[in-house]
Amino acid sequence: MKPLRSPLAGIRVADFTIHAAGPFCTHLLSQMGAECIKIESRTRPDAFRKPHAVYGRMQAATFDQVSANKLSVRLNLKLPEAVALAKRLVAASDVTAESFRPGVMKRLGLDFEALARVKPDLVMLSLSSSGQSGPDSHFAGYAPLFGAWGGLGWMSGYSDGPPVEMRHVMDHSAGMHAALATLAALHQRRRTGLAQHVDLAAREVASAMIGDALVQASAGEQPQRPGNADAAMAPHGIYASNRPDRWLTLAVRDQGDWLALQGALGRATTDPRFASAAARRAHREAVDELVGAWLRECDADDTARRLQAAGVCAHVSWNMQDIADDPHLRARGALAEVSAPDIPARLAVGAPARFSVTSDVGIRRLTPTLGQDEDYVYGELLGLSRAQRSDLESREVIF
Amino acid sequence: MPSVDNQPLAGCRVIERSRSVAAAYAGKLLAAMGARVVLLEPEEGSALRRAPPWLEGSQESALFAYLSVGKRSSVCDLRTPQGQADFVLELGEADIFIDDTPLDERQACGLEPESLARRFPELVHVSVLPFGASGPKARWNAEEVNLLHAGGEGFLLPNGLSNELFPDRPPLKIYGHFSEYQGGSSAAMCALAAWWAVPAEGGQYVDVSVQDAVLAVGAFALQRLGDGSLEHRTTRSFRYGGVFRTLDGYLELLTLEDRQWLGLVELLGRPAWACEPALADPLERSRRGDAINQHIRDWMARHPTEHIVARAQQLGVPAAKYRTPEEVVRGEQERARGLFGPATLASGREVEVLVAPFQFRCTPLLRGGAVPALNEMSRETTA
Repeated sequence: MKPLRSPLAGIRVADFTIHAAGPFCTHLLSQMGAECIKIESRTRPDAFRKPHAVYGRMQAATFDQVSANKLSVRLNLKLPEAVALAKRLVAASDVTAESFRPGVMKRLGLDFEALARVKPDLVMLSLSSSGQSGPDSHFAGYAPLFGAWGGLGWMSGYSDGPPVEMRHVMDHSAGMHAALATLAALHQRRRTGLAQHVDLAAREVASAMIGDALVQASAGEQPQRPGNADAAMAPHGIYASNRPDRWLTLAVRDQGDWLALQGALGRATTDPRFASAAARRAHREAVDELVGAWLRECDADDTARRLQAAGVCAHVSWNMQDIADDPHLRARGALAEVSAPDIPARLAVGAPARFSVTSDVGIRRLTPTLGQDEDYVYGELLGLSRAQRSDLESREVIF
Repeated sequence: MPSVDNQPLAGCRVIERSRSVAAAYAGKLLAAMGARVVLLEPEEGSALRRAPPWLEGSQESALFAYLSVGKRSSVCDLRTPQGQADFVLELGEADIFIDDTPLDERQACGLEPESLARRFPELVHVSVLPFGASGPKARWNAEEVNLLHAGGEGFLLPNGLSNELFPDRPPLKIYGHFSEYQGGSSAAMCALAAWWAVPAEGGQYVDVSVQDAVLAVGAFALQRLGDGSLEHRTTRSFRYGGVFRTLDGYLELLTLEDRQWLGLVELLGRPAWACEPALADPLERSRRGDAINQHIRDWMARHPTEHIVARAQQLGVPAAKYRTPEEVVRGEQERARGLFGPATLASGREVEVLVAPFQFRCTPLLRGGAVPALNEMSRETTA
């Protein structure tokens, strides 16, 4: 078999992450070729192996994106022998990733200082809601709370409405930033041979998404929630079309766009309130009303294509079925069809980007069953004999 | 002690050509980790220098300040022989080149990946475009509002209380440049992955799409589609929990685990409705979500945010205040962690800028710096 050419080929990750943000980080690393070993136990299996009532999922998931590509081993970290085995796994890996509440890894005897003793050039990622330090570091949280603490939730919303809660995109954005920082730490290790502890607070990622508003706030200003409006562009927003719940997004950047929009729609206005970009900004609501009336009679999909042909920024507000049907995303490998004997064909998120040389990037294997890779990990990597493993299993260390 | 030499990306040299937030954010993230990032700008300066929001008084771009602090600026017009010569010199010393020039303009600027790969075989060349550099829509144009909806998340917003209050309004974008930030984060991540492979594989071209990045962070909705559920903003609200109006503001509350639910019952003062035995079953709670939420809303509306949040945290109930930007900038947690650093704008005005949404505990990041004046590198050379 031809060896895979992936940018992170040869990197191994000991993956203790739970929930969504941490597992997405290690999933991204695995997509780019890292070998990622997911550590769970029968007593504390990953959430996807159980029903999730709050999301309306009444049984275990058959496919879990963020677990794809990962190897699975069982390890009951409540027992000292399991902790010792975890340390051997860390020593055999390049990166250790965890996303417990701060303090949990220390209680387990697996904190950075302890692990750096067995792996002097350890690169460790700790991902948490509020970070490893500071008065709020013990706070528990999920994606909507990250958005609330970080200010992104406050700044998002209709101008006259309440703040808006962020969902999984917030988790996964934290995970992507964590993957980036982890790679930077690996480069640092390559250069210096030294260990590094990356500390990512998901709420700070939410704050990074309002970095401009925070600059304003630091200057004593009180930034306001703009809704769908943009200070530089008018018309700008999301407009109804001739089909219910089929919306067209539109951003008119300059006078050229404004004229092209009218040309593409076969409309024209000589209203002086709309004669220049500055005039349209000053009469934002009126221009929205006019363009809204034009677009209400249009087919959104056809109009988006015509506007794009005229160089105007437009796109239909797509639901996931639209995305699943998109030949562009499939051509790029951003969407990948996956299947397995027990998993009917379905779509998953594929490669994060196209790499011209190390092009083997994306999903190589699907959701692992619990402990399916112990022959390789405990047998080949750590050199445990069958008898040793049976003994550890009988005493529920490997469990 | 933080120093230039002990930063994670010390020694990494990056050239950035950006007109989009995505490409500029990729450069910002690398600069924050110690890379030397040179922003190549046209004569009139990057369009982002004029992008909103603008600071009152000086009218300087708060967005550009955020995205460019710590970078260097050099004017380089690739349509001139001098610009081309300067560019070749810069790239000859660079590890990573980040570029968001539209495809149709690349040939005229000498930015085609094949020719750059021949001349700079060790270079990591990262293209960042709204829909990527390949595929049938590679030449489509887009701004933030288009991209959030092209990636699927826009259609799903707002959910929860906002959607309940305004069910007939159009979907709502996330504040600012959320999609572009995902594209930028992805571009920086992929740049470092490709740079990692240079000793074994040499340089390469990396084609990043903002739409792909939005879809990637929205993977859960695609997973739900595979499970048979097409998500919609009207139905993807949490069965119970979410945004609540309090006596003096808003907070977010979410209980996913049994012990958190028990803490919530305690927080609410053990009311009779919550102690009903049937509600011990999480599936039953999920089924009765609307009724539960109504009870919680009634209670929240009578209590102040800080009181609720403090008590909730004691009881292990995940709850957070919806904080304003002013509260974030002044936040004790943020201050304790040094999230912000002092930045000097081109006008000399001092502001604070978020350093980076991650920390390196063994070698802390340098904080703050200057927002580069246009072409300050050249002025420095000639001075």
